[in-house]
Amino acid sequence: MQSLQGQTNTADTANDTMPDVSEHQTDSNSVVVREINDQEEGMIKSDSENNCNLLDQNILDQVGHLTRSLHNSLRELGYDKQLESLISEVPEAQNKLAYVATKTEQAAERALNATEIAMPIQEKLSAEASQLTEKWKVAFEEQSVQVDTEKFRLLLVETLTYIDNVPEQTSATNAQLIEIMMAQDFQDLTGQVIKKVTSMVQRLENDLVQILLANAPSSTKQKSADSGLMNGPVTNPEKAPDTVSSQDQVDDLLASLGF
Amino acid sequence: MPDKNLKFLVVDDFSTMRRIVRNLLKELGFINVDEAEDGVVALRKLQDGDYDFVVSDWNMPNMDGLTMLQTVRADNRLQKIPVLMVTAEAKKENIIAAAQAGASGYIVKPFTAAVLDEKLNKIFQNMESKASA
Repeated sequence: MQSLQGQTNTADTANDTMPDVSEHQTDSNSVVVREINDQEEGMIKSDSENNCNLLDQNILDQVGHLTRSLHNSLRELGYDKQLESLISEVPEAQNKLAYVATKTEQAAERALNATEIAMPIQEKLSAEASQLTEKWKVAFEEQSVQVDTEKFRLLLVETLTYIDNVPEQTSATNAQLIEIMMAQDFQDLTGQVIKKVTSMVQRLENDLVQILLANAPSSTKQKSADSGLMNGPVTNPEKAPDTVSSQDQVDDLLASLGF
Repeated sequence: MPDKNLKFLVVDDFSTMRRIVRNLLKELGFINVDEAEDGVVALRKLQDGDYDFVVSDWNMPNMDGLTMLQTVRADNRLQKIPVLMVTAEAKKENIIAAAQAGASGYIVKPFTAAVLDEKLNKIFQNMESKASA
């Protein structure tokens, strides 16, 4: 009977670990505790019959009570259902983020491909134009010494061929510009997906914080996760005071160090 | 004026970023550009080939850019090669750590072509003044 007394105390302790529970919740928890005690009584009786170590059993029971108490409080507050539905969204969120990664990578590849096709066309147009200009300058200079109509005629033909080819080449460049523009269509799609994932993460955070507030010891304080030297891009500079947000700040810092 | 035949090694784990840096370098007249996807590959290439300039990311698998920089600076044959860090790491301790490890310059992503041009030129100027001193 002594051990049973201990059990009741443990259950009370478990109850006490939940701060700020409303009266209604305390009532229903007491009911639960009573139910548990009834069950425990049966268990302990059989344990005694088996001559088990009562101390070990006591610890197991304490853990059992705490777990059940946490489980019940979650259920009473409706968190278990909320969490369940949120957790089921996690794999979906992973898929969505993988989709974003793929889409952005494809877009970057498309834009880079188009740029690398367009650049040589532009360079060729520019180089040929410069060459022609140079040739005309030379031809005019030579004209003052000796008029060479054949040379002018050939230059004229060359220039006409060049001009004739310009629209074809500019439309080729234009096609690549349009390709670059179209490659940006990912933004619409990924934007929507990212918004969905963001809202899911917000809900998850919200629920987890509520559970923590209801169950965690008050002394537990959150610690910053941003330590070490590999944190990647700064996504919210306002909340990261020890980071730089522009190249100017990098330069200033290095200058202040004498580099 | 820097020699346009300088041999560059661009180190970044993302191929798109390597392509962007390569294209920007090409735009600035540097056509002799090779790529490596992490610090390990970069070090192997650096030890095998005569590179004149390294542009490196920080956060990469296998070996990060800082470790690579420290290894380069500790290597007698490689220690003089300029290493320009181009990274999204923007904590002050990152910049200080890179400077202490002997980085020749530090650019935070996202960056512009003008910034890359400016930092390269600054490093070339330093090299020239050191060579003439």
